[in-house]
Amino acid sequence: MSAAQATVRLHRALYAEDAIRRAAETFTDFAAFAVRADGDHYVVDVTDIDREVDGDVVAEFCNFALANTAIRRKTSHA
Amino acid sequence: MSQSQIESLDAATATMTLSLEVGLYPRDVLYAAAYVFLDRAYVLLDRSGDRYQVHLRGKAALDETTLRAMAGEFANELLAQALRLRVVHTNQRLIEDIASLAISGAAGRAVHGDEAALIDLDAPGDDGFLDDPLGIAVPWESKKGAGEQ
Repeated sequence: MSAAQATVRLHRALYAEDAIRRAAETFTDFAAFAVRADGDHYVVDVTDIDREVDGDVVAEFCNFALANTAIRRKTSHA
Repeated sequence: MSQSQIESLDAATATMTLSLEVGLYPRDVLYAAAYVFLDRAYVLLDRSGDRYQVHLRGKAALDETTLRAMAGEFANELLAQALRLRVVHTNQRLIEDIASLAISGAAGRAVHGDEAALIDLDAPGDDGFLDDPLGIAVPWESKKGAGEQ
């Protein structure tokens, strides 16, 4: 995941699209994100990943997308 | 956690994939359990047929023993969150009642309609607590004069 570009597939039943987009906004200084739906998944093309960043931008992005989805779901239930 | 739930494990890359039956764990339980691991692992959820797949990669290097322990912790967390969710559902009405009581109290209204307020906010002097027949509320300087110590 340390290459300058990567593709992530996030299942549509498990990740909310706005949660993915908010995660992308969070990391916009470190990479470019393009989100599209493809069958059961959202496909996120991550390009121009900043090589100078200490850490795995793509994996952290996935964690944020999951956290945003979980928080959003919990909030909507409250 | 049984071997069958660990779909794959690779200590060299500190990665592991768990496979969970969809019918056993509500999605909220899966989210809550995964959320707990976000600080020490990269977590990716997926679904294949009637099974959830949980891909975990340690943020630090992990040996096989630690990875297996993490799998066990994840299973424990799933159970704990499932129980927590069940308790919340069972006590939903009670929780709502307690919350509404607390909010009513904070708003300064009597909780029960026929319960009179302790202080008449429109005429607080009528309740007597502003009367000071013994001069207790009079400052020392006013009683003794500003020059005396």
